[in-house]
Amino acid sequence: MDALLSISGVSVRFGGVDALADVGFEVAKGALLGLIGPNGAGKTTMLRAVTGMVRPQTGSIVLDGAEISRLPTHRRVRLGLGLSQQIVRPFAGMTAVENVALAAGYAKTADPLKALATASRQAERDRARTLLDLVGVADAADALPAELPLGYLKRVEVARALALDPKVLLLDEPLAGLNTSEAARLADTVVDLNRQGTTVVLIEHNLSEVMRVCRQLVVLDNGRKIGDGDPAEVMADPAVRDAYLGAASEAPGEARDAAA
Amino acid sequence: MNYSDLLVQGLVEGCIYALIAVGLTLVYGLLRILHIAHAGIFTLGAYVGLLLTNETGSFAAAFVITIVAVGFFGMAFYRLFYEPILNKPPHVALIASIGLFVAMEEIYRLIFGATSISFLAPPLKDTVEVAGVRLEEGRIVVVILAVVLIGGLALLAGRTRIGIAWRATVSDAAMAESFGIDLARVRYINFFVASALAAAAGIMVALLLNQVIPTMGGVPAYKALAIIVLGGLGNVKGTLIAALALGVIESFGTIYLDRVLDRDAIAFAFLIVVLMIRPQGLFARR
Amino acid sequence: MYEISLLTVMSFSVIFALSLNLITGFCGQISLGHAAFYGIGAYTAALFTTDGGSFWLALPLAMAVAGFFGFIVGFASLRVRHDFLAITTMGVGFLFTGFVRQQEFLGGEEGIAGIPDPGIGQIPYMLLCAAFAAAVIAFSLYVKRSWMGQAFDAIATDEDTARTLGVDVARYKLTAFVFGTALAGLAGALFAHYVKFVEVESFDFIESISVLAMVIVGGIGSVWGVVVAAAFLSVLPLLLQVFADYKLLIYGVLLFAVMYFAPGGIDSLMRMLWRRISGRRTAE
Ligand SMILES: Nc1ncnc2c1ncn2[C@@H]1O[C@H](COP(=O)(O)OP(=O)(O)OP(=O)(O)O)[C@@H](O)[C@H]1O
Ligand SMILES: [Mg+2]
Repeated sequence: MDALLSISGVSVRFGGVDALADVGFEVAKGALLGLIGPNGAGKTTMLRAVTGMVRPQTGSIVLDGAEISRLPTHRRVRLGLGLSQQIVRPFAGMTAVENVALAAGYAKTADPLKALATASRQAERDRARTLLDLVGVADAADALPAELPLGYLKRVEVARALALDPKVLLLDEPLAGLNTSEAARLADTVVDLNRQGTTVVLIEHNLSEVMRVCRQLVVLDNGRKIGDGDPAEVMADPAVRDAYLGAASEAPGEARDAAA
Repeated sequence: MNYSDLLVQGLVEGCIYALIAVGLTLVYGLLRILHIAHAGIFTLGAYVGLLLTNETGSFAAAFVITIVAVGFFGMAFYRLFYEPILNKPPHVALIASIGLFVAMEEIYRLIFGATSISFLAPPLKDTVEVAGVRLEEGRIVVVILAVVLIGGLALLAGRTRIGIAWRATVSDAAMAESFGIDLARVRYINFFVASALAAAAGIMVALLLNQVIPTMGGVPAYKALAIIVLGGLGNVKGTLIAALALGVIESFGTIYLDRVLDRDAIAFAFLIVVLMIRPQGLFARR
Repeated sequence: MYEISLLTVMSFSVIFALSLNLITGFCGQISLGHAAFYGIGAYTAALFTTDGGSFWLALPLAMAVAGFFGFIVGFASLRVRHDFLAITTMGVGFLFTGFVRQQEFLGGEEGIAGIPDPGIGQIPYMLLCAAFAAAVIAFSLYVKRSWMGQAFDAIATDEDTARTLGVDVARYKLTAFVFGTALAGLAGALFAHYVKFVEVESFDFIESISVLAMVIVGGIGSVWGVVVAAAFLSVLPLLLQVFADYKLLIYGVLLFAVMYFAPGGIDSLMRMLWRRISGRRTAE
């Protein structure tokens, strides 16, 4: 299989902290890859490096054959990235549906003058409603972010990333703040999208869902990659169990509480 | 004018800028507020100092009373105007502060009149010779004051409990609070110090020009804003260096740049050039 | 005759305030030196027509020159944010006045007098200004509704997140600066040919603050709020002597009071009132 997103040798330093040290992995076309690791491992930093929100000191990032590591964020996004952030960042003045519609209008916002030439938003609003429905928050479409609980905002954030029609969907802890059935449902939706052709990188602490849906795992610890491959094999690796689960090695299914 | 004259003049101006700008940068460092109304407090210091000198006949006594009184005024000012809006978005305090400054200038005009007032017997007007340069005593006093006040402040910040509490709060307010530091108290003291320094600068400018007018705060205050940006907002050392550098640059600039720009615009030309090269200021905080 | 001058002043003030509203209100880029672009427009038009140029050509020329400088200052807005931008734009204002004061060809401290009359009569000139104001109002309303307005709104709220949605923040900001400053240039040209005399004091920091006050009092980003605020604040000093005497005090207090009590300005007050009224109506 071809790598759709290929990351190699990425290092990010914040002051004295090595948030990422020479990390690389490949995301195959059609993959559903789980990026896991304990708190502070560097998972979020990796997605921020991929989207250009932090500048790595070294490394290369190739998306669909194009080197993107020197491009500004908006160009990378337009080449096919969709990011749902760990700390939700909805536009406070826009309702949920407007938030998603803004992303859905990416073709119209590509150029300021073209954006000025068009005012009709019906198509994007319809698309936004469909996506909000898809992630299970259709009832919140006309609410302002301030009126919504975290579990809803998380899903609005996911819908907004989806609205960009990304080749690679980057999800940073989308299940946080959702109850068990909501989480399972959203995970199923991600699997569906993946089946329909979207490549997904999923950061998640909810290990039981990760083990259930992901077909590849990359494990980070302290800015280093310590595991990469088939989920069951990776989780069986003593080094991973040690770093990720701490001294007491538990079975992956029981690890959820330890990781949370 | 020879070069040493220009240099000394520039350093004197720089000391005045430093007295104003250190207060501004202290406020910014602690509260992230661009305290434009600081300029109004500077002017208040000038009026109070001049009127008290004329009343009492003693410049020294008037000076001390003024900086203490204006320091307390600054605390009250913070309590009344800034404390209630601390948690609003940043532009709120900025614009409120501009409004306060404009209103203060107008209030001075209404109370003291639009025309200038002067010292009845201008103090410290004799000249002495220092290192081959003839200087008014007032200018020497400015330099001494800046060194003593700012140096003293640095000592206090390093040595005393409240100084340490202040520094802890600047670097991380939430952390400082969790160590039991009373944030409100630190902020009051901060405003006291900043306002007292501005008042000191105000009196000295009044003395050097022998006049006080309602709008005298404008130009030095805007320059102080440029200085604290150059110094890397919130960075005291950077601010001091930028203040002295600007004083000297202006002093030479009036000779070489006068054709193109008037003196008061030099600061901003310098500022814009620097920001385009280093958007975080000459000396970033970290 | 008196009403005619009131309406003329009102018209170019509305244009000027809406031009700042585009930059600061729509796109969220605070500017404390906007009067410089008003001044650039005024001086450009004044130089051009005193030199024999046609008034009709002076208007687009003023817009182009002001917009050109706006483009350059827009670049500054790409380098610096928030408080840094506030001070940088304030600096731009001081640079403008500092530069003009030293230039003989701009009349230095004395300014430029004897700007020729557009030669269309007072009432048509008022109508012309009013028509421009109406066009700028319509343009503002349209921009707000368009996709450009949506992108501006996103940038004003959170530019980093806007980037993750593929918005080219830099180009939008530059566009806002160019549009806003070009319109300020138009307002300046109309102003210059109304008073027929320009001097640097008309474009100083206080003028930048006055136009900011119109935007703030009207409600940052609100078109109708800003129109109402600009219309009132520009003619009150002409109507009421007290207002003229205490103009700056009133502006200062207004800026502070709006930020302190009602950061949404007239716009949010009207909305609140409207909700009360319609709420009562549905209750009946
Ligand atoms: N902007 C920043 N400045 C300084 N240090 C940072 C910054 N962002 C992240 N770090 C540090 O980099 C390291 C990796 O952080 P990151 O957020 O990528 O971890 P994570 O794996 O996403 O953790 P979590 O599971 O808690 O979300 C941490 O030590 C963090 O403190
Ligand atoms: Mg994270």
